[in-house]
Amino acid sequence: MDTKELAKAQSGVKYKKLGHCLGFIGSNLALIVFAIFALFPIIWMVTCSFKSDAEMYNTVFRFTPTMANYHAVLIGTDYFKAFLQNIVVAGGAVLLTVVAGVPAAYGLARYNFKNKEDMAFTILSFKFAPEILVILPVFLIFQKIGLYDTYFGLIWVYQLITMPLLIWVVRGYFEDVSVEIEQAAQLDGYRWYEIFFKILVPLVKPGLVSSALLAFIYAWNSFTFPLILSGFNVQTITITSLRYIASDSVHYGQVAVAATIAILPEIIACLFIQKHLVRGLSFGAVKG
Amino acid sequence: MARIELEGVTRQYDRVKAIDRLSLDIADNEFFVLFGPAGAGKTTTLKCIAGVEFPQEGLVKIDGKIVNLIEPQDRNVSMVFENYALYPHLSVYDNMAFPLRSKLYKKSEAEIKEAIDKISKLMRIDAYYERKPSQLSNGQRQRVAIGRCLVRNPNVFLMDEPLAHLDAKLKHTMRSELKEMQSAFNTTTIYVTHDYMEAMSLADRIAVLDKGHIRQLGTAREMYYTPGSEFVAKLFGEPEINIVPAEYRVENGKGIASVGSGISWEVPDDVRADIEKSGAKKIDVGVRGNDISFSFEGGEGWVGGTIYAFEPIGNKTIITAQLENAQYRIVAPNDVHASLDSAIYIKMNFDNVLYFNAETEQFITRHNREEILSLKKA
Amino acid sequence: MATPDHIGVQDGINYNEIPAKIRRRPYYVVLPGLIILIGIMIPFVTAIALSCTNYSFKLPTTKFVFLKNWIAMFSNKDFYHALSVTLRYAIYCTGIQMILGTIVAFLLKADNWFTRILKVLFTFPLMVAPAIAVLVWQLMTSNSVGVLEKFLNLLGVFNFPWAASKQTAMFTVVLIDTWVNMPFVILLVSAGINSLPKSPFEAAQVDGAGTWFTFKTLTFPMLKPFMYIALLFRLMAALQEFGIIFALTKGGPGDTLMNISLTAYLTGFTYQSLAKALPYLLVLWTIVNVSARLIVNRQRQLTKQAAGIQ
Repeated sequence: MDTKELAKAQSGVKYKKLGHCLGFIGSNLALIVFAIFALFPIIWMVTCSFKSDAEMYNTVFRFTPTMANYHAVLIGTDYFKAFLQNIVVAGGAVLLTVVAGVPAAYGLARYNFKNKEDMAFTILSFKFAPEILVILPVFLIFQKIGLYDTYFGLIWVYQLITMPLLIWVVRGYFEDVSVEIEQAAQLDGYRWYEIFFKILVPLVKPGLVSSALLAFIYAWNSFTFPLILSGFNVQTITITSLRYIASDSVHYGQVAVAATIAILPEIIACLFIQKHLVRGLSFGAVKG
Repeated sequence: MARIELEGVTRQYDRVKAIDRLSLDIADNEFFVLFGPAGAGKTTTLKCIAGVEFPQEGLVKIDGKIVNLIEPQDRNVSMVFENYALYPHLSVYDNMAFPLRSKLYKKSEAEIKEAIDKISKLMRIDAYYERKPSQLSNGQRQRVAIGRCLVRNPNVFLMDEPLAHLDAKLKHTMRSELKEMQSAFNTTTIYVTHDYMEAMSLADRIAVLDKGHIRQLGTAREMYYTPGSEFVAKLFGEPEINIVPAEYRVENGKGIASVGSGISWEVPDDVRADIEKSGAKKIDVGVRGNDISFSFEGGEGWVGGTIYAFEPIGNKTIITAQLENAQYRIVAPNDVHASLDSAIYIKMNFDNVLYFNAETEQFITRHNREEILSLKKA
Repeated sequence: MATPDHIGVQDGINYNEIPAKIRRRPYYVVLPGLIILIGIMIPFVTAIALSCTNYSFKLPTTKFVFLKNWIAMFSNKDFYHALSVTLRYAIYCTGIQMILGTIVAFLLKADNWFTRILKVLFTFPLMVAPAIAVLVWQLMTSNSVGVLEKFLNLLGVFNFPWAASKQTAMFTVVLIDTWVNMPFVILLVSAGINSLPKSPFEAAQVDGAGTWFTFKTLTFPMLKPFMYIALLFRLMAALQEFGIIFALTKGGPGDTLMNISLTAYLTGFTYQSLAKALPYLLVLWTIVNVSARLIVNRQRQLTKQAAGIQ
């Protein structure tokens, strides 16, 4: 290789390096732009919740923080009541789902029986049924049998959100446990239900807890179901929040408080389930 | 302590029969080895006895009682799984204590401690009580699995390749340990392995399994000296037995067997009678590597060939000699040196040749059959 | 009595038949969950029947009208408008989220503290309830207090109409949907990228394959199964979207955002003629299910192909 070629090759390397460097800066810049898009609304919302109504109009970030909005929302309105009721409804829904769904997930994971796959797919298809389609007839029947605007009524329809999720995700965790471990426990003198509680449940616990939390978040977020099936007795946060913006005298700071309070528990929960999040979100299809 | 019987047991998965109308009768206190290649149905047989697999046909009996409909936990059997099947969330100690804490086999914590200490010392795992299975090496896991199996006093121990993941030295010690324990415990043991040395050194009796069928049932000696077929002959012994096509003819009232153009010998009368009785049209002969002597000089009675492969394996050397169209693996002392493609001369010990029917690959006979089998095991 | 060719039967007991107690166990275990779900799905079956009646909250009696509601729907131009809104919304949302989400996932490919933190932060919008997300964006896009208005003012744009105008309403809902749901695509594709096996890429590098060639023949085919799962979940949800649109504009301005879900809601509740709303929803249900099945089948096929590459 003569000197000319060598120089050419070297400059090639140089350009490659430069390109690499630019690519690095560019890609990180793009990431930062997207991070702003994803996070700015939440951050701005939280700051707004500390602004007085007057400062709302003319400031962005520099202002005197005040707790007045929180005071107004939590003490002055029934928002806190809706918050608690939402916990009862979403929590109750997840509890029922765990009690009935975990055994079902186990059955679908472990046993071979007729129509097993059909059954599993039927359960999944509930997830893809248009909510309004289910809700319209349910509304009629609930009004007739007195389940309209009750905790139990909501908890029951929330199963459409929580049950398919939990069954499909936890089923995958059960499938990850080797059959031979169960067989070993049988030979060690344990009955199937003892094995279920002593061996299997501890083994799937991380996955179970995560998918239960995710199911809780989904139930917490539900909008259509409470919109149609709840009235004055049972209120959820998603429905109550909307009333803030719809009212004539808009207190924007209070809207911000309502949104912040609704979002906060979810973000905290989400931090705990990061490891299992992808698997939960994809109903177990992607192991993450 | 129990007699284990299988009568015509079939277990199939989809359309594949893992075991096909298998019958076995294992005596009380017997150390019984199921031996065969991968996919032979060994593990399935164990699991049918354990009750974790349900046979589609046939009966499983423990001490004469049909147990097909009895759930595994009520059969009082204990098993070592090939992949350990340890409980990942329990410590080594709790894993071994698990059977003794069940409602069925309940013991006091003091008794449990005593039992586990005793077994752990033997298994050399007493230093790891607090560790989780994920913190152990494969060999340690396997010993914990054996330990969990042995802490109880069941009807039968079922062991699925319990030494497969141990290193060679430990394997050897464990082997003698197991044998000793088994005679001390007085418990029937069914042991699955694909290692012929394990099978031969441990077994009271061996069943050779292949594709869900029993190919041969008998003692280690029978397997080695009078294998029922070429298949079984190839499974026992290292290096693998040399099986080559041979010719058999009667000349001047004498039975002559020959291999290739160079080797021929007169078969003994007992062999001759058996061959003629069997009506085999073509025969194969099997000769083990240690029944072939070799020389680099040649001479009267030696047949020449070339060295095709030369593998020193520690205490001995395996030489593969190429003669005409056949290759012979020969056992040589480890101080022999030879270069590839150089000349080698061999001579067979014709007394120990095994004769097979070439068409059915079934065993016909060998010289001094009765005498060899009646010899006591050394 | 022992039959000669089947020794499993002895003394009248068939020892090769799994005892009913054990055979039924799977059903016992699955049943409670199934009952709860089916209980809630019974109304769904009645929906099909009700769609052939004149059921309404206003009428005292209900009678069978056969296909009248169906014919009414198919001859109503609102239905075709709703169908078009539904499909456009689904295509815009899914398309934008899939493309941008995949790009961001690739930008996150490097594994360092920066990308690890970002991956966690990006999951936050995904947790926000769509209705609450609408609330946040309503504030952001408010012309009086909204921060976006202030930002646009700097660029010389005043009183951008956002959800209030026919021209920008679709843009606004798609923006909100994208804010909430794009992280889903990012997470799934990221998981796919992380799960790529190393050896084929090392082999490609040794063979001197170019970046684009490697991407086209290795990376992309192996990622496709993951992208199809993301597509499945996003498309199914977007086709049925109700919450975001309803919370933001209730379908307005005018009928700009009236997709099938909203049209059915309006017909069923506001106009109180439930039976007329049901055909809309059953059409939607059919669209959702057919496309789900197509995507699932294709996804399975691709998973097999991807496994073949490895």
